[in-house]
Amino acid sequence: MPALRLSDKLKPMDLPQIQSRIPRPEELVVLSKPLLDATIIIGKALMDCKNKWAIGGDVAEVISGVNVQPNHIAILSTKDGCDEVARKLVKYQVEPPHVVERELDREASVDLKLHKVWIRSYMSRFDVEGSVLDVHGNLQIKVGGWDWGDPLDFDPDYVYVLGVKMPIVPLKMKSELYSGLGWTDRAIKIHEAVMRSRHMFG
Amino acid sequence: MPTTITETPADVVILGVGYMSGVIAAELSDPLLNNGKAYNVVAITKGPYWDYVNDFSTTKYDEWGVGLGRKYDSPLPLQSTTIRNTPYQFALPVRRYTMPIQYHALGHGVGGAAQHYGGTMGRQGPWGYQMLSQTNTRYPGTIDTINPHNDLQDWPLQYYQYEPYYVQWENAHGLCGNYNGSTDNPGSDSSGYPWMSQNYRLPPHPLTPAAQLFQSTVQSAPFNYHPFPHVNALASQPYVNQYGVPVNPCVYDGYCGGLCDYACETGAKANAAYRTIPAAMKNGNFTLVVNSFIFRLDTDPTSGLVTAARYYDPQGNVHIQQGKVFFNGMWGYNMIRIMLLSGVGAPYVWKSDPTMVSGTVGRGMTNGYSPYKGTNVSGTLSNIGGNAYPAGNAGGGSVDIYDLMDDNFDHKNLGFIGGSQIGVGGYPGGGPGNITFAGGVSSASMGGTFKATQKDKYLQTKTVLSSTPFAPDLPTTDNYVDLDPHYTDIYGDPLARLTYDWTPNMYVGATYLANKVKDIFTAMGASNVTVSNTVLPGAVHNDWWGHHLRGGCRIGTDPTWSVWDKWNQCWSPTVKTPFNIFGAGEITNTSGDTVPSGTHVAGPQSYRAAEGIKQYLGLMTPGLVP
Repeated sequence: MPALRLSDKLKPMDLPQIQSRIPRPEELVVLSKPLLDATIIIGKALMDCKNKWAIGGDVAEVISGVNVQPNHIAILSTKDGCDEVARKLVKYQVEPPHVVERELDREASVDLKLHKVWIRSYMSRFDVEGSVLDVHGNLQIKVGGWDWGDPLDFDPDYVYVLGVKMPIVPLKMKSELYSGLGWTDRAIKIHEAVMRSRHMFG
Repeated sequence: MPTTITETPADVVILGVGYMSGVIAAELSDPLLNNGKAYNVVAITKGPYWDYVNDFSTTKYDEWGVGLGRKYDSPLPLQSTTIRNTPYQFALPVRRYTMPIQYHALGHGVGGAAQHYGGTMGRQGPWGYQMLSQTNTRYPGTIDTINPHNDLQDWPLQYYQYEPYYVQWENAHGLCGNYNGSTDNPGSDSSGYPWMSQNYRLPPHPLTPAAQLFQSTVQSAPFNYHPFPHVNALASQPYVNQYGVPVNPCVYDGYCGGLCDYACETGAKANAAYRTIPAAMKNGNFTLVVNSFIFRLDTDPTSGLVTAARYYDPQGNVHIQQGKVFFNGMWGYNMIRIMLLSGVGAPYVWKSDPTMVSGTVGRGMTNGYSPYKGTNVSGTLSNIGGNAYPAGNAGGGSVDIYDLMDDNFDHKNLGFIGGSQIGVGGYPGGGPGNITFAGGVSSASMGGTFKATQKDKYLQTKTVLSSTPFAPDLPTTDNYVDLDPHYTDIYGDPLARLTYDWTPNMYVGATYLANKVKDIFTAMGASNVTVSNTVLPGAVHNDWWGHHLRGGCRIGTDPTWSVWDKWNQCWSPTVKTPFNIFGAGEITNTSGDTVPSGTHVAGPQSYRAAEGIKQYLGLMTPGLVP
């Protein structure tokens, strides 16, 4: 059967439309393939770790739906945990565990004043298939002239990354941390992601 | 005044943006998945982009607007379908989305019908891919008696060949479940059925008390069946797929599957919009065209190849989108219709003599879902009640068995083939259900009886068991889709016309299976276990257009009866074969048993087609991918 002939007449229709906006690429939350692949490798390697550990940093936020752009992977753990991770990921190790103290690029905004922020941890660095992994044991934060805080501790949340059950630093803790540092833009991003994951009445 | 606009040519043009199209978009637009090649992909869909927060979170709790107004669905004034039972009848168009004609609405926009489906999934086992040859081997000479004017065919590939594609599909959409029948499942038989190379990516949803009772009952003698948690596509946990797209989990709000029309406000319900399309949109090689109605494919008269898709924008302007390769991912009738309207592929021509039929586009239509007027089994568990998951989601919480489907039991002298997946114990999950029966008021939908039912739905004192098992609908030469000579869409083009009636295999199997289920319900301790009257073949007739349409635009081993080949590439000839169009969807399934989800069975075809398209783009001259 031949195709039906096209009508010569154009169709001046004006149909009612639902005006949903198509999101721009920068609004979409997607973990890049290199970081995703490395995260899965790490998750499988650390599946039976004895010590508490969790994915932290921006990767933890992206896989929880927060719109940030990670450039490396971070793990939070204890000192013993850092050593255990170092043993399990030894073939990827770039820097063995050692105490590191450094100033962050971004300052805290507390009481309308800017304060320098330092972190201190027992840290080891890895290169997992081209992606940088920093493992922090007993991470502490210091703001301005205040004392060092207690090592960060938490009960992890879990996300299944392509079937690998991955502990992550809870968004709630990160949100409180950002709020305390005055990084409201980051806290708002987390709030937006949490709201997108919730029942509208809950 | 509307004008004609010629768009920038693309490498790949996708028609419709539902489940299958999302896979094509994600796979073709990412250079990392194509040896560094960045294909330019354009996808066109007649509906909007849906944002689950902005479009659903504050508007879905609207039983009237969703259930009757069908505000998320394909508008029937835009286009509908006409239906009839035999070629000798005058087909009438579906004009309302109400019971009993058409209560399951179609999708509209990015994500398609999966924006508001139940999310029920389940692989098709090996038998489903070789129904004809297996039946001829084990029960020689019976198929033509069981299925007059039989048009059943085997798939072009076997189950094990689709298995890797199943894995990709399940990874992408984060299916929940547990090995159903593999040798790793303590409840499975030693052969493992169907065999799976990896478990589902997410754990199943928590089982309801009724499901647990069903599980323990059927595992025991005398049944010794192999139960497994129901497989579904509503994320049970936070998830990230292979494209790096994060997924929110189900919030168990209860407004999920009722009327098959409640969308998900957290994106937990898997569909292309929240699993694959974001990945495509992120990488910059993908253009999404919404609210645009595709009405024709242009073909080159010399080569036969498809050269462009024409579509109307909302203002009536005509756009011409040229491309190297086209993927037909439109739903059901629409996939068939656009090909018939455009002269792509050989249209099916029905004859009363089954040996005289010809053509392929529209041929082999079956319906994968319950006829409603089948044989029902019901019973009441009075010992399971309070707090038994009054909300939940559409598909979770239940337990299934495959033991009464495929050829997993002896069919000798039973008069039917295949069987039914039996599942018990799902969450109610359907919203209040006040207007489920709005097509007609009865004592069940108003007054004291209705109120008592509502009380039991939310403060349960008992659990009602109900099952309507049936054997698969089988393709015949008398069930098909063509263009209606009388009714048109809003633009003046013919509607698709469904000529279809239920096939005997369904009802003959239903009687046998219902009595098997009756035995199970009785063993579970249910009271008042009742099997409704047996429905004889021919006693009732189809009066809806269905929504799990299978076949009609089949893949196959032979271009005389199939539209697409083993790569889901068109090989249906008109004068010339349009090699540069591929297609996948439930409508391209060659055949299948009554597994709950033809969508899941179709899914692997989308990955197969993506692979085929990549190979086609590498060919020196247009032709079939080897």
